[in-house]
Amino acid sequence: MSDADPVLVTENLTKKYGEFTALDNLSITVNRGQILGFIGHNGAGKTTAIRILVGLARPTSGRATITGVDCLRDSRKIKKLVGYMPDRFGSYENMRVREYLDFFGAAFGIHRKQRRTRIDEVLELTSAAWMQDRYVETLSHGMQQRVGIARTLLHDPEVLILDEPANGLDPEARLEMRSLLLKLASLGKTLIVTSHILPELSRICDQVAILHRGQLKAFGSLQEVTRQFHQNRMIEIQLSSAEKIDETVEVLAASGADRESVFPSSTEAIVRFRSDRSEDELGSVLAALVSAGMPVTQFREVASDLEEAFLSVTRSGDAEADAAAEAAEPKKLDGELASTAGSDSSASPNEARD
Amino acid sequence: MLSNPIIHKEFIGLMRSVRFHGMLAAVAFVTIVLVMIRWPSDGLIDRSGDRAREVFAIFAFGLTALVTLLSPVTPATSIVMEKRKGTLALLLNSNLSPVAIYLGKLAGSLVAILFLLLVSTPAVTACYAMGGISFTSHVLPFYLVLTAASLQYATLGLLVSTLTATTDSALRVTFGCVLGLSVLVLAPNYFLQGIEGPLSSLAIQLQALSPMPSIMEIVGTGSIGNQGLVTESGVIIKFLVAAALTSVVLAAATLRRLNWRLLDQSRSQGIITDDQTLGVRTARRLFFLVDPQRRKASIGFFLNPVMVKEFRCRQFGRFHWLMRLIAGCVVVSLGLACVTTMGSEEWGVETIGTIIVILQMALILLFTPGISAGLISSERESGGWDLLRTTPLSTGSILRGKLMSVFWTLLLILCATLPGYWVMIWIKPVLEDQIRQVIVCLVLTSVFTILLSATVSSFFTRTAAATVTTYSILLAMYAGTILIWLGRDAPFGYSIVNTALTVNTLAAALSIIETPGFSEYGLIPANWWFTGVVSGIFLCVLTARTWQLTRPM
Repeated sequence: MSDADPVLVTENLTKKYGEFTALDNLSITVNRGQILGFIGHNGAGKTTAIRILVGLARPTSGRATITGVDCLRDSRKIKKLVGYMPDRFGSYENMRVREYLDFFGAAFGIHRKQRRTRIDEVLELTSAAWMQDRYVETLSHGMQQRVGIARTLLHDPEVLILDEPANGLDPEARLEMRSLLLKLASLGKTLIVTSHILPELSRICDQVAILHRGQLKAFGSLQEVTRQFHQNRMIEIQLSSAEKIDETVEVLAASGADRESVFPSSTEAIVRFRSDRSEDELGSVLAALVSAGMPVTQFREVASDLEEAFLSVTRSGDAEADAAAEAAEPKKLDGELASTAGSDSSASPNEARD
Repeated sequence: MLSNPIIHKEFIGLMRSVRFHGMLAAVAFVTIVLVMIRWPSDGLIDRSGDRAREVFAIFAFGLTALVTLLSPVTPATSIVMEKRKGTLALLLNSNLSPVAIYLGKLAGSLVAILFLLLVSTPAVTACYAMGGISFTSHVLPFYLVLTAASLQYATLGLLVSTLTATTDSALRVTFGCVLGLSVLVLAPNYFLQGIEGPLSSLAIQLQALSPMPSIMEIVGTGSIGNQGLVTESGVIIKFLVAAALTSVVLAAATLRRLNWRLLDQSRSQGIITDDQTLGVRTARRLFFLVDPQRRKASIGFFLNPVMVKEFRCRQFGRFHWLMRLIAGCVVVSLGLACVTTMGSEEWGVETIGTIIVILQMALILLFTPGISAGLISSERESGGWDLLRTTPLSTGSILRGKLMSVFWTLLLILCATLPGYWVMIWIKPVLEDQIRQVIVCLVLTSVFTILLSATVSSFFTRTAAATVTTYSILLAMYAGTILIWLGRDAPFGYSIVNTALTVNTLAAALSIIETPGFSEYGLIPANWWFTGVVSGIFLCVLTARTWQLTRPM
């Protein structure tokens, strides 16, 4: 298998629990050394997808391969190819960090001498060497996450799958986690990371997959995804003081902006508005503000971020679902009425038609 | 008192618990079945009332066993669960005083027991309707004794709940203490009957802590292990007083602990002995048989990593404690050997053999579920099972490692208790064959208990639930059949007792060693067949279940 070949491929991966579809036709491809961010609400299907990839869950249909190895059929090979860190740490009582890593190293069949060296390496890589004699259950959450990553690296897997690695971390620990993940990617590891903390993901991910109600709603690079969901640009007007914020809103409305898409913030002395106008048209808006005597200090476009893209995706998904439910409801009611009318032998044909 | 919000919370929790309703239904069913199995079907009236008393005796023993088993569960897990969930801090931070919290918890536990006793009333009404038993001298004292015993166990459970860190260890310790309070306190009197002296009178006083003599007095079967001697009078009053006193002492001890200090305990970060000074290292080497703070070597390639992991991280029975236990067993065994040598004429080798067998069996039955009922459930509870599944370890390797960690532990303990037998063989060589058979019984008990606990563990995601279930099954098998044995003259006949004791390896061992009361039953080899076959079934179920748990779901 060459370096150009994709490391991870899923084809129409579907997982159903009875009537409930947890994952619906997921098809994605990830190349070597890339970081894929899996985004979605709780219950969106992220963990289900991950559990299928690491061989903990069986898909109802579809296929997933890692470096060409089938995730379901060759689960023993997959275990050596993948390092998995679940959202729960999985600690053992009365065990020190080094003993903990030694156990997992032995479980992966790493020879004793090699294991000792490898433990030193992964502890060094994750900056966790100083805690090797601590009991794992006494470590803080951030420290446990480091040990968790050290554990996933022990057998030198090609792909690392990390479920919510930044969850519950303080800002400093989050920064350290981010640099650790980038370091791992620079070492040629392919990473699949789920997170709710979208600004963190947007800083490290090469690719983003947004899942909503089990369905893949967007997939691609960060730029591709944000562009896909934002035809309207967000413009930000910074005023020197908040005194004239209401007048600014009035001027914007007079120049044709929809009041519902204007968002004033008096605490920041900022007015933001959405617009699909050209550069020239926006220039006229600025001119109107200046000529009306508004104290404009900055007039700029705000770059769309992953958070907004995610919200757009999920809102449109919810709207689609609501529309589908509404469409189904009258049909159901019609059906119920028809069946009631049909079953009532005393009702006249006209009454039934009514 | 009734405005205490904890009582409301506990009561609502109980009423919403499907498990509690299931338990009540089971108690009602079992008590009714107990009455039905001895209900007269021949249409003749027994004017002496013996038949009615037989039925009442079975009901009373059955309900006592159920109350002993079920009443400590809620209080034992009550405070420790709040502590682990973090809600105890909220309670202590509220306007409620520690006394109000304690009373709320105690009342909640007692309400559960009250319901348990209430659902037994249809069965006791049926007994009463048969005639032959009186409300004032049978029914009322019986329920009074059970209520007092329940109060004693509930206060004990609550104290243990403040002392332990996990629900399963709370249950283990509580069940151990309940066994001590209800059964083990009777043992000294059993062996010292007829002997004059302060030890003997102390043994009689010690009996007052157990509800068993009172129950036996009420149902009219005499005191436990009574060897033709006159039953001591006033045992019921003595027990009620003793139960009230122990409850007060236990409640005071719990209240002393129920404050912020309970939550203000830091865990050692783990000082390593290897980094200490030479003096400290030497002192620790002398004090510990195996120093738990020593830096461990890497797991060797010839060792099963799961087995080593179990030895290292086990909550109960870690290696250094195991070594101390073995050392303790050697000392006790040698002490008994010494007693055998010096007092063989006074006590008889059989009596000493009985003591050794009972102690060994108690050790196996109490210790084994503690270390093996969490073999799989604790992994699933902590999230470690998914991590094990992502390693290349096979199902067989995981299972072997887990079972061997318990097997080696028990083997070492058993070996440490053998010196007493060697002395017995030296004094009375004809006993060699019997002792060999007893050892087979002990090994079979160990294997059976390990496999039962591990199988139960594979079906639970909570270690506490797995531990309770395992102890319940073992209690039903061992204490339940001993209860039937206690009624060997009336109401149960020889064949019923013999059949019941076939499932009990302790009874088999006692019959081999010719303990009075057991020597007349022929339990071997039927008992070995039963234990062996059931153990085999458990092994098959355990293997299949573990294989299922390691597959992609």
